[in-house]
Amino acid sequence: MTADAVTLAVALPLLAGFLSPALGRSSRTAAQWLGWAALAASAAVLWSVWVRLDGGTAAVAVGGFRPPLGIAFYLDGMALLFALAVPVVTLLFWPRAGTPQQFALTLVLAAAATGLALSGDIFNLYVFYELTAVASFGLVAAHEARRAQAAALRYLLLSAAGSVLLLAGIAVVYLRTGTLNLAHLATLAPERLQDPVGLAAFALMLLGLGVKAELFPVNGWVPEVYSSVSGRLAGLLAGLVSKLAVLVVVRALVLVFPRPEAAELMLVLGTLGIVVGELAAWRARDLRRQFAFSSIGQLGIVFVAFSVPGPAGIVAGLAVALHHLLTKPALFLLAERWGGAIEGLRGAGRGQWLASTLFILFALSLVGVPPLPGFWAKLLTVMSLMEQGTGPARAGAVVVMAATVVEAAYLFRTLGVLLARESGAESPQPHRGPDLATASLAGLILVGSVFALRPLGDGLKALAAQAVDVDGYVRTVLGGPGMAVSHPASQAPGGAGGGARVAHVPPEIAS
Amino acid sequence: MSLPPLEIVLYAGAVSLLIIGLAGLVMSEHLVRLVLALGVAEAGGNLLLVLTGFRQGAVAPILLGAAPSGPMVDPIPQALVLTAIVIGVGVQALALALVLRVRRAYGTVHMSALRARLVEDLDEAAGLPPEGSREAPGVERPV
Amino acid sequence: MTLLDGLWAASALTALVAAAFGRHPAAGSWLTVLYGLQFLVVAMMGGLSEGADPVPASVSFVVLGYGLAWQFSALSWFFAVITAGAALAAAWFVSGAWGRAYAARGGDLRLLQLALALNPLAMYVLLASTDFLSLFVGWELVSWSSFLLMLSGGGVGVRWALRYLVYAIGGAMAVMAAMAQAHALTGSFGFGALAAAVPELSAASLWMLVILLAAGFGVKMGLLPFHLWQAGAYAETPGPGAAFLGAISSRMGLYAMLLTLFGGLGLGTLQALHIPFTPLEAHELLAWIAAFTMVLPTFTALRQNDARWLLAWHGIGQGGYMLLGVAMGDALASAGGMMHVFNHATYQAALFMAVTAVVYRTGTADLNRLGGLVTRMPLTFLVLLIGIIGLAGLPPMNGFVSKWLIYRALIDEGQPLLFVAAVIGTLGTIVSVYKLLHNIFLGRLRVEHESVREVPWSMLTPMLALAAVVFVTGLAPGPVLDWVAAVQRELGFAVLVPTLGGVDRPDGGLDMLWVVGIMLAGFGVGALIFLAGGRARTVHQLDNYAGGHFLSAEVRYHYSDNFYAGLMHRIGSWYRGSFQWLQDALVSATDFLAQGAAGVYRAVQPVTWLLGVTVLALWWAW
Repeated sequence: MTADAVTLAVALPLLAGFLSPALGRSSRTAAQWLGWAALAASAAVLWSVWVRLDGGTAAVAVGGFRPPLGIAFYLDGMALLFALAVPVVTLLFWPRAGTPQQFALTLVLAAAATGLALSGDIFNLYVFYELTAVASFGLVAAHEARRAQAAALRYLLLSAAGSVLLLAGIAVVYLRTGTLNLAHLATLAPERLQDPVGLAAFALMLLGLGVKAELFPVNGWVPEVYSSVSGRLAGLLAGLVSKLAVLVVVRALVLVFPRPEAAELMLVLGTLGIVVGELAAWRARDLRRQFAFSSIGQLGIVFVAFSVPGPAGIVAGLAVALHHLLTKPALFLLAERWGGAIEGLRGAGRGQWLASTLFILFALSLVGVPPLPGFWAKLLTVMSLMEQGTGPARAGAVVVMAATVVEAAYLFRTLGVLLARESGAESPQPHRGPDLATASLAGLILVGSVFALRPLGDGLKALAAQAVDVDGYVRTVLGGPGMAVSHPASQAPGGAGGGARVAHVPPEIAS
Repeated sequence: MSLPPLEIVLYAGAVSLLIIGLAGLVMSEHLVRLVLALGVAEAGGNLLLVLTGFRQGAVAPILLGAAPSGPMVDPIPQALVLTAIVIGVGVQALALALVLRVRRAYGTVHMSALRARLVEDLDEAAGLPPEGSREAPGVERPV
Repeated sequence: MTLLDGLWAASALTALVAAAFGRHPAAGSWLTVLYGLQFLVVAMMGGLSEGADPVPASVSFVVLGYGLAWQFSALSWFFAVITAGAALAAAWFVSGAWGRAYAARGGDLRLLQLALALNPLAMYVLLASTDFLSLFVGWELVSWSSFLLMLSGGGVGVRWALRYLVYAIGGAMAVMAAMAQAHALTGSFGFGALAAAVPELSAASLWMLVILLAAGFGVKMGLLPFHLWQAGAYAETPGPGAAFLGAISSRMGLYAMLLTLFGGLGLGTLQALHIPFTPLEAHELLAWIAAFTMVLPTFTALRQNDARWLLAWHGIGQGGYMLLGVAMGDALASAGGMMHVFNHATYQAALFMAVTAVVYRTGTADLNRLGGLVTRMPLTFLVLLIGIIGLAGLPPMNGFVSKWLIYRALIDEGQPLLFVAAVIGTLGTIVSVYKLLHNIFLGRLRVEHESVREVPWSMLTPMLALAAVVFVTGLAPGPVLDWVAAVQRELGFAVLVPTLGGVDRPDGGLDMLWVVGIMLAGFGVGALIFLAGGRARTVHQLDNYAGGHFLSAEVRYHYSDNFYAGLMHRIGSWYRGSFQWLQDALVSATDFLAQGAAGVYRAVQPVTWLLGVTVLALWWAW
């Protein structure tokens, strides 16, 4: 029952999140330590589960309810990787100056995000997604400046509208298949969702999830929110939450909607996102919005990469996503002090050599200079697109490469301003120690991974092979030892007016 | 797979609610109306979800001792929709709270005015002059 | 440990020393020794040009399932020896007085030394490429290290470096597209696999590869229409850096083209690739691009009033000769094209150093503010003279040999129009380098330059050494042509078998020993007549009359101002700036689009986008 412990990874931060405000009333420090302990425990649990699984997969039926009815967690490399990233990144981007309420929201965000990574059931995904959303609204609104509240409200309205679409998509899926378990869906999808209705369901879910995943064009909140909140929160939202939403989309694409049209929709929207994001970043006049728009462009590349069918696309997408997870939050930390108008930063980088070096490093990696990881991610993306060889895929590759030119232009233009010999009117304050430390850690990991490219590449390939193995997923969730497939596909109710629809009550519940 | 007329009406109603809500989100100006539109859209989405388990003439799937003899409606969507309703209510409450705070901070409850003020605020926080439509980019073009 | 490892180690050591101690001018001599070591290691690999087996690197990686390995062949060696020589000369030039003065003026000497050391290192990595992947890695390293060198001077150079960066990344992306396309077509990054797959490839995919590769590498070479970055970027680099970049940096583009287009796809493929609706083939298209690159930038150089810019524009134009020769592809032309790489590197480095020496003493490179320095800086004058004779392609310097080979091949191949273009290019070169020589060294000395002296030996030595190479390889081009023959053999070109003095052909060869001998004899006779009959009298330069008026120091009569005003009166209206217009239009278009992209988030409420795209997606789903 080792794998079952993984529920703790979600439960502990959630519990700590609920305790935190109460505890914080007497001692803020205690609440902070509680949060750290919960996140560390969550990370430790996930790590030990990963080690024990040793490259295998497992399914966990939460509370003993067997799939396809109960809440299922599915553990494979990809899920555990992102789940593990959640507590680690949250710890690094902990709202140090926050109130106990902010700690609570951060912990809830972490718990929900972990759940998003692990969940093997669409409705749970919806619940965790909403929980993530609410926690992030709260965190954005907790910022004292009034612009943060306005941004939070606008973010909320857009995100809630997206959630309604997601819910509608879920309803359509359920209408067609009578199940929401991803493994069960994977067995039913080939016969029940391969039509325009299924495609519409995917489109609805893609757009609903796309709000968080910064998918074009439902990402209007991105520049407003990222430039209103602290660099830490922006890093958390841009780095972590967006990736988890993408992960959910990818799971749905691989397991439930393996149709070229679905991938094409993702490709087209991702491509447009790259174009619009990078061009808008070129025009941006302040650093935070530049990074925000650049983040939209990068997420576009992630979508484009994941749209390539098969393990090649997953490897490329994972590489780009992880690279962005590493670099963009760190850049947002640097924007904490350099957040103002770019023109006002003239010469600000001179004298702050660590920060400048980190900026250069991240910029080089984002542009894709070998041998930095960003290059390999970009190369994998372009090659998998070219390998696919269809017109839209080639167009996507061309756009990825053209965007690189634009990206290099604005990033190094900004660097040119930062390192200009003549200095501006007033130079910004030096960076805070913790911000610099976190950014340096990201930089070290980035440089370190250059020396571990081979194991990293092999690891990603193994993850991708596991992720596209639909049969393996179904076997693990439905056909594991001691888990009888109680509801073969043929019995599942289909269509609205189908046969008798009864609750699928597994015998275990009665006993 | 022809649907009985009643189900068509119900589905049409749910989808209409959804569309009305989303249209309201796009077309309304007043912040409270926006929140209300969101509520309508959510109601539509919830109705759609709960309808997927609907069967005409079926009874509620409550197991007390012996199972009822007739057909039962699918209980899963009902469980799901309860969750969704709870989430929706929470989000709307949060939205209303934010509307209050925004009104206090900006003195307006109109979306477009709020948008303009927000952009001004963002520019001001970044130390930028207000953006004219035909202005040059922030720094010199590299090429 | 192979010699290639040794070369990399020596180069990396140089970079480390430069990073650690580059700030101190005194470290310059140590660095020069290290560059000398690099040159020695390259020289030890000289067997490569005599048919020895390629020298592999003992490091290799497997990344994401792709192997990365490196080795030096005759082609690599030919370019490496030029690189090592140019780097040695540039470092020597920096090592003494120039470096001290640069640091004293507030320049960042450490950055310059580091950038100067990283450039050859990156080039040695690039030159050892074995497949598309290692080529691309090396290519990016070279691009970024030259970017670093360009901005090391600060000031205006940064703007030009940024412009270069945009062009370079664009070119690199074209190369990446070609590489991904080649991988998609053949399943491997190898050039051999590509060559083997050529018969099965459609004309469309071949064209795509040719265009992407030519454009991608053409950016670095400054081929039209991608040339606008180069003059400014090189000219505004600190002097020795400009000498290094001008000598060899953009030739990396030619190396990569030789490796991929001529070695990978093969000359035969290019010759068989027909352009629809025209009588031209792909290699002739390249030749014509090269021809335009020869002519237009050369005549742009004619208009420059800054010596560094003038030289940099010529660098672009001379690249055209190289590509023209290689694209024509017969034994003579390709030998000429490749030999021109060597020749150009030697005289261009010498010229940039001479100009830098003038700037060092006078503080300006403005051709309207110089003049008469021949009496003050005679050795620099000599270097510049030898350099411009080489650049113009006149005997007895080495530039003549390579250009003669190309002219000769154009006539043999029956390409009169290209021949005329080459001659026009040379004409423009001669006219403009005369302006360079005249406006700096001839005419009247300006009063503010009365006290100018010759530059110190730390600067003169590399200049004179390079000038000597220009002359000696002009007198006896045989050895260099031997190296070129090895490259031709490796790439599958027809091989030119040289003699010591040039080429021996039944229908008229070239023997530079005779040419130079006769020229010197002629000069000797002239000198004898001059010495025997001349009654020369040396007067002060202000002891001078014009139009019957005595010229005092106040009345300047310096006819180098607005040089060629008469010529410009005739041809000035031909200068259109079309490429500048094209570039500006592209940037403006991008800016316009970017404004639109930013407007996406400004003009419409986000929820409207959500609803709109949902409706579109649902409609599309049906």
